[in-house]
Amino acid sequence: MSEKEVRLQVRNVSKNFGITKALQDVSFDLYKGEIHALIGENGSGKSTLTNMLTGIYTLETGKFILDGKEVHPKNQVEANNEGISIIVQEQGTLDGLTVAENIFLGHEDRFIKGGIRNTRAMNQEADKLLKEYGFDKIKANVMVDEYNFEDRKLVEIVKATYFKPKVIVIDETTTALSQEGREELYKHMKRIRDYGGTVIFISHDLDEVLSLSNTITVLRDGIYIDTVDSKDIDVDGLKKLMVGREVSGNYYRADYGEKVSDEVVLSMKNVSVPGLIKNINLDLHKGEILGIGGLSESGMHEIGKAIFGASFDRTGEVVLEDGTKINDIPTAIKHSIAYTSKDRDNESIILNQSIEDNIVLPSLNELAVAGPFQSDRKKKNFADKYAKEISVKMVNTKQFVSQLSGGNKQKVVLARWIGKDSDIVILDSPTRGIDIKVKQDIYQLMDSMRKSGKSILMISEELMELIGMCDRILIMKDGEINGELQRSPELNENALIEKMV
Amino acid sequence: MGTSIAASGKKKMSGFAKGYLILLILVVVSWAVFKVITPHNFGSPANLLQYFQASLIAATGAVGFYFVMVMGMFDFSIGANIMLSAIVGCKLAVTFHMGYAGLIIGSIVMGAVVGLINGVLYVKLHIPSMIVTTGVALVAESVANYIAGGVEQTLPAGLRAFGKVPGDIILALVAFAIAYVILNYTKVGTYTYAIGSNEAVAKNMGINVNFYKVLAFVISGAFFGMMAILTISYGSSMVAVTGMGSMSRNFIPTMGCFFGLAFKKYGMPLPSIIIGEFVINIIFYGFIALGAPTAIQDVITGFALLIIITLTTKVNKGEIVK
Amino acid sequence: MANTTTQKKTKQAGMNSTLRTLLPVIGLVVIFIVFNTLTSGGMVSSLPLVITQVYPIIISAMGVFFIMTMGGLDFSQGSILGIASIVICAVSKVSIPLSIVCGILSGAAIGAINGFFYVNRKIKSFIVTICTMFLFRGFIKYLTTNSPVAGNASLIYLDSTGLKVTLTVIVLLVGFIFFRFTRFGTDLKAIGAGEKAAKFAGIRTDRMKFWIYVLSGAITGFAAFLSVIHIGSVTASGGNQLETQILIALVLGGMPISGGAKVNFLNIIVGSLLYVILSSGLNMMGVTPQMNQMIQGIIFLIFVFIFADRDANEVVK
Repeated sequence: MSEKEVRLQVRNVSKNFGITKALQDVSFDLYKGEIHALIGENGSGKSTLTNMLTGIYTLETGKFILDGKEVHPKNQVEANNEGISIIVQEQGTLDGLTVAENIFLGHEDRFIKGGIRNTRAMNQEADKLLKEYGFDKIKANVMVDEYNFEDRKLVEIVKATYFKPKVIVIDETTTALSQEGREELYKHMKRIRDYGGTVIFISHDLDEVLSLSNTITVLRDGIYIDTVDSKDIDVDGLKKLMVGREVSGNYYRADYGEKVSDEVVLSMKNVSVPGLIKNINLDLHKGEILGIGGLSESGMHEIGKAIFGASFDRTGEVVLEDGTKINDIPTAIKHSIAYTSKDRDNESIILNQSIEDNIVLPSLNELAVAGPFQSDRKKKNFADKYAKEISVKMVNTKQFVSQLSGGNKQKVVLARWIGKDSDIVILDSPTRGIDIKVKQDIYQLMDSMRKSGKSILMISEELMELIGMCDRILIMKDGEINGELQRSPELNENALIEKMV
Repeated sequence: MGTSIAASGKKKMSGFAKGYLILLILVVVSWAVFKVITPHNFGSPANLLQYFQASLIAATGAVGFYFVMVMGMFDFSIGANIMLSAIVGCKLAVTFHMGYAGLIIGSIVMGAVVGLINGVLYVKLHIPSMIVTTGVALVAESVANYIAGGVEQTLPAGLRAFGKVPGDIILALVAFAIAYVILNYTKVGTYTYAIGSNEAVAKNMGINVNFYKVLAFVISGAFFGMMAILTISYGSSMVAVTGMGSMSRNFIPTMGCFFGLAFKKYGMPLPSIIIGEFVINIIFYGFIALGAPTAIQDVITGFALLIIITLTTKVNKGEIVK
Repeated sequence: MANTTTQKKTKQAGMNSTLRTLLPVIGLVVIFIVFNTLTSGGMVSSLPLVITQVYPIIISAMGVFFIMTMGGLDFSQGSILGIASIVICAVSKVSIPLSIVCGILSGAAIGAINGFFYVNRKIKSFIVTICTMFLFRGFIKYLTTNSPVAGNASLIYLDSTGLKVTLTVIVLLVGFIFFRFTRFGTDLKAIGAGEKAAKFAGIRTDRMKFWIYVLSGAITGFAAFLSVIHIGSVTASGGNQLETQILIALVLGGMPISGGAKVNFLNIIVGSLLYVILSSGLNMMGVTPQMNQMIQGIIFLIFVFIFADRDANEVVK
């Protein structure tokens, strides 16, 4: 092990977002010439750490020591100059600029003489790089808008690696790519490792992590858990580290083999939304938890919107037990359908509004005292009651939702629908970005709702929670339902992944 | 692989050509419509040259304003800026006997200063640009009125070279060339598009977003200064109105900018602004040839802008528009 | 530690909201006293005259208040007032009650045009309304080209403080009751604070937005009646600049420019009074109109800055 030279030391790094502790006193070392995976559940602080390393977030407490020198980049360009770069999950290229302009964004000074940019030299340089990488199909002088998501990711690979960075972060990039795109990315990760660079690899796909990385560091709830050698551990071992021992037993629901009612409360008939989902047919039964899984872009998130009447240009029918057709949101709410969006901050809650207003909003008509008139006291009592019932951590219900943590925001959303007493509950990514404790609360709430005869449709990208909570799981692929799996203790992630890709 | 390169190259070419084709059709159609209705006093080649010259005035301001619009900001002080800049230029040229130098430097510097004030207040106060510029317009109008002493400022005949051929064309061409170079051959242009595309990402890339926003307002202001020179040279005088009366001058440059934004995807924003202003002028002169009363001009202006925006705005379902 | 920061934040938020409500009221009192002293009692003695200017502003400001609460803007109020005034004058020769109805309907019609382009064509509200402002200003100029449009001669006899105060109070009271005690206000605020989330909570946001523009136009159409009985006719400048006056008034009243949860119905009343007293006070002191405008512009920017409901990371265009 003597040839292992330290590249980057992470020392006592902490970060708070308001009241959420995203990272607490994290320290570990990364070495030259290794692919170092960083794993953990959503909200464990992986991206927070790497975003601070690359200047996207500001570092407040702690240190990053790169090759013996403390680095403190304020933005990505400064990080690049230190030899650190990142490829993110989302689109990292900008519309309206050419491929070459995107590659050299922030570094165009080398092509500028007397204030005038030598565009031709820049394009030539970019074309040369693209050729070296084998991406000949991409042309430097073409607007990046003309390329699809995959090709734009390739542009990002060039942008992030052409200057031979010492450290590169690959943040959940692979989930968005096709197999072909992944292979391309793997190739360059290995290339960087081979010239002595360090790759920090963030991924949810544990098999991918094990086959690719040399070292794995596990984070949980913002706390450093362990760093292990990939050769010494397997998928189960990693999971144990990620979830932690204390949460097993009643984390998910424990029952198996319970009979689900035959009563269909809602069905989708030949529902299509242009460009998103095609010919979806499904039945939701009384007291059932029906799961929808798939890759992020598989159209699964549109299912919830389509049922709730929030899709645009939807065709086909969403019908309730009594024959009512749901075509818009107010009708859906009136007929006891509740919906929590994946995009919580924009679609589920009104951030710059009090907890009270957020909770009472769908129930205002029921809370009226005389004709259209509302009573402030009645509204307050209603909000208090349901916020307390689900134990939202707050000062009082006049507090603005923007001051709450992710988990408590989600609780406000749930309080709203519990107050409305909805019978059909659509939960899209209900535990996204939420810490383990609140997650457990939500799972238990779902279980008790199920037992009291409510029907739940859970859309989730987290396979473990689908397996743990659902009576039935439908897997989506390319906008269509690609398979159905029944609840069983033997069900594992591989069975789901098989239908997803 | 080879075919895909050719295909993407061809696609770009056709986009370029398509943009020009659409604009050419717009020119021909707007000309033809009025030529058919009123064949005798409209649309001869000499007339068209006259329309084109008149359209250069607004186009000069619009190519500068494009930098602000691409970033997604707006400006309500355009008219007030033009008024103030023209009056300052005229004062320097006449009262202070500085001649053309006073006119050019006075107008452009004053325009840039108003732009600077807009930009700095917008960035520092962190409030919507349209609100900031409304406040600045109120102040600029009254300053212009104060400088003019409430009287009409007239540019003497000896200083009106920018009001006729070739002076106006030369100044406009210089303005277009400067805008073209800044947009395509400096990092300012790249950063302008980057900020317009996604401000947060641009910031992460180390672009000093606030600096470039202020710079965009300064560039835009300087171009309005040039537009002020053309305006006062063409019209020979300028009255400093108050009570937001300068608002009416906002419209024509703004219309051209909407053309620029709509044709951005064809990679030819500046030519489309120039041709767009030309089309607007053909329509205006068409109505004048028809004998429409002057009050109706405002109706046409308002209506035309509304229609242009309606046609150039893509309705994205579910998008939040305020 | 995290807890103290939240408490500090909450406390700060509380202070801000107190400042937001109190500052305009204090400003109103202070400005009134200052001008009254400077003009040696002139403010009090000419109060009835000063107040006369406030009726059209305060009524039409209510409509704009609703629009701004849901995050929109409206620059067409002046032209709406002008067109509605012309309609009222013309119809008043037939029947005065009918003229009121027609005034309201013409205002509502222009509001519907605004609403259509804003909601259905997804064009920014301020752009739509500057277009309609200019468009209808052109019509006003055209219709008054040769001479002002005069109304029924008996209109002017209706011009009494009693009637104007009564009508203004009724309109404001109805507006207040619906805004404060029904879901109307809650829905508007929800749209302003987060339109998408409001939609997902069951509010028919597009329909609401459209009808608020219609309502605002109708309210200004009614305000036109009070303006007509005062003057008796309409000139080319009828209603000119009303939109700027309303915008300044609301901002002076403490209205956050982006609307949302922190608006307060009091913004309308305090703001309109503050604006009218400020501009006529400056006038009385012999300040030139252009200087008056400059002072208004500067005070406007300062107040926008103080009351802006901003978040450090928010992208403002």
